[in-house]
Amino acid sequence: MKAFAAALALSALMLAAVSAVAAAAADPTARAQRSAPGGIRGRLVLAQAPRSNERRPEVASPGAGGFRERTDRRAGVVYLEQAPRGAFDEPVRVRAVMDQQNERFEPHLLAVTVGTMVEFPNSDRTYHNVFSLSRAKRFDLGRYATGKSKSVLMDRPGVVRVFCDIHSHMNAFVLVFAHPFFDVTEPDGRYELANVPPGSYTVVGWHEGEPRVERAVTVSSGSWVELDLSAP
Amino acid sequence: MPLLYLLACLLFAARASAQGLPTEPVSVAGGRVVFGGEVFVTFGEKDPGWFNYTDYEYNALRNIRLSLATEVRASQRLQVLAELRLDHGQHFSAYALFARIRPWPDRRFDVQIGRVPPTFGAFRRTIYAYDNALIGQPLAYQYLLALRTDSVPLNADDLLRARGNGWLVGYQVGSAERSPGLPLFKSNLYDTGVQVHGVAGALEWTGAVTAGSLSDPLLTDNNGRPQAVGRATVQLGPAVRLGASGARGAWLDESLDSALPSGETARDYRQDAVAIDAEVSAGRWLGRAEWIRASWRLPALAAPLIADPVVAESFIVEGRVRLWPGVSLAARADTLQFSDLTGSTATMQWEAPVRRFETAVTYAVTRNIGAKLAWQRNLRDGGRVRHDSLLASQLVYWF
Repeated sequence: MKAFAAALALSALMLAAVSAVAAAAADPTARAQRSAPGGIRGRLVLAQAPRSNERRPEVASPGAGGFRERTDRRAGVVYLEQAPRGAFDEPVRVRAVMDQQNERFEPHLLAVTVGTMVEFPNSDRTYHNVFSLSRAKRFDLGRYATGKSKSVLMDRPGVVRVFCDIHSHMNAFVLVFAHPFFDVTEPDGRYELANVPPGSYTVVGWHEGEPRVERAVTVSSGSWVELDLSAP
Repeated sequence: MPLLYLLACLLFAARASAQGLPTEPVSVAGGRVVFGGEVFVTFGEKDPGWFNYTDYEYNALRNIRLSLATEVRASQRLQVLAELRLDHGQHFSAYALFARIRPWPDRRFDVQIGRVPPTFGAFRRTIYAYDNALIGQPLAYQYLLALRTDSVPLNADDLLRARGNGWLVGYQVGSAERSPGLPLFKSNLYDTGVQVHGVAGALEWTGAVTAGSLSDPLLTDNNGRPQAVGRATVQLGPAVRLGASGARGAWLDESLDSALPSGETARDYRQDAVAIDAEVSAGRWLGRAEWIRASWRLPALAAPLIADPVVAESFIVEGRVRLWPGVSLAARADTLQFSDLTGSTATMQWEAPVRRFETAVTYAVTRNIGAKLAWQRNLRDGGRVRHDSLLASQLVYWF
C-alpha cells in the first residue's frame, strides 16, 4: 500500500512538472520575453569621399558629350554575414526597379533578396544595353529604346555589377542576399537592421571599391545595439 | 600559335581581373583630371602579302599598343585633351593634343584646336576596344596604296607597275627612297587644325580646317593649302543613324614643286573624298555600312599621261551579334576598287582591287578585359601574294 501511495505521489509530481513546462511553452508572452528580436543601428563612415564616376577622356570625339548628372556614390550596405536560423525560408517574389535616366542608373546601389525580379526601364532619350558579367548573375538585355523595360530574376546571392554596353560611364551595383538582414545606408551613412533575433553575429559594412569592414556583435533580446563602422 | 596565344590571353585576363586593375577612368583633383587607358596585345600569323600593314609600318595583326588618354577639365568652358600612344613597342607619340572650348556651357557647341580627332568617316569613332568587335581595320582606313606625297609616277605605266605594292613604293620623280604608300584615309593619325562641332536635336555636325589631307594628316602644313573637311549625322530614332562626310585638300608635298608641270605647285593637286554611312541596332544586333569615294589628282608628266584624277571606292559592311552575355560574334566584309587607267599596253584599274572578309569571336572576362579570335581572308588582283588567310588573337584591356 505504501508502495502504491509513493508511486501515485511520484506520478502526480511528474504530471504537475510536465504540465507546468507545457504551459510555459505554450504561453506566447513568456516566450516573447525570452527571445524578442532586437536590432543594430549606427553609421557606416567612409574614410574619404568616394570618387565620382567620370566619362573616359573623349579624345576621339569632335565634341564633348551632353550634360550628365553626377552619380551619388556615397551609399553603402550593412548586413549580417551569417543569417539567423529561419532566415532562409522560402523567398518572397518581389520586384525592384533600377531606372536609367540621364545616362546613369537610378539608384546606383540596390540591395534585394534572392528571388527578386529587378526591372531596368529605359527612361532616357537614347538606347541603352544593360548587362552584367558578374558570377552571381550574367545577363545581357540587349539594346532597347525609351519607354521599354526589361527585367532580370536575381536567383543567387552575391554582388552583381551592372553596366551599359553603349555608355561606358554607366555602372551600378545590385547586392543580392539570401536573408533580409541588410540595409542600404543613407547619404550620411546611417543604417538600421531591425528584427534581428538575439544572438551573436558578424556585421559587415560594404562600399563599392573598398575592402569591406567587419565587426562582431551580440544582440540581446528586445534591445538595440549601436554600432558605427569605419570603412578604410 | 594564335590559338595558344589566345589561351595565354585568357589565363592572363583571368588573373588580371582578380588583381584589381582599374575598371573605370582614374580621376584626381576632384574630377578635374581624368585618365583613361587601353592596352591591345595582338598576335597573328605572318602577313607576307602586307595586307594589314599600316602607315607606321607595323602589322595591325601583330602589335602591342599602349595608350594613355588624359582630359584636364580646367573649367566648364575649357578642357585640354591628350593621348600618348606606344605602338609596336617603338612608335611613341602624342597622338592627340588639343584644347576644347565650349563658349556656352549650356549648348552643345565646341571648338577644338590642336592635333584634333578625324572629322571624316564613321570608323574612327568606333575603334575603342569595347566597340570594335574585330581585330583588323577596314581596308579604306588602313590598306597602303601605291601613292606617295613626295614621289609621283612619271606616267601611267609607272603607276600600273606599282599595283599591289603599296607597302613599299617609290617612283622616278621626287624622293628616290622607297617607303610605304598612303591609305585612302589614314585614321591612325590625327591632323592639326581647328574643328567645330555642334548638336541640334537629332542633327550632329562637324567641320574642320586642317594642315594635312585624309591620306596624310600632318603636324605642320606641307604645301600651303589646308584641307576642309565636314561631317553630319542624323539620328532617325534610337535605332538608326545616317551620316555623310566630305573632304577636299591638297595632298602632294611642296618638295615636288620643281618637278611639276610649269605653272603648277603642290597646292594644285587635291584629294577629294565623300562618304555616306549608316548604323542600325536592335536588341543584340548591330550593323554598320559605309561607302567612301576618294580621288587624287596626279601630275601629267609624260605619256601615257595620267590625265584624270585616280579614284578609289570602298564599301564596308559589318555586323555583330551578342550570342551570350560576354560572348559576341562579328563579321566584316569590305572592298577597295579603283578607276581604270590606260597604259602603253593595257587598260586596267590603277591599283590592284582588294577584298577582305573577317570574322571574330570576342569573349569578355570582365567588362573591360577580353580576348578575341579572328580569321581573315584577303584577296587581291595583283602584287606578289594575291590571297592569304590569317588567324589572329588579341587581348584587350581598357579603363
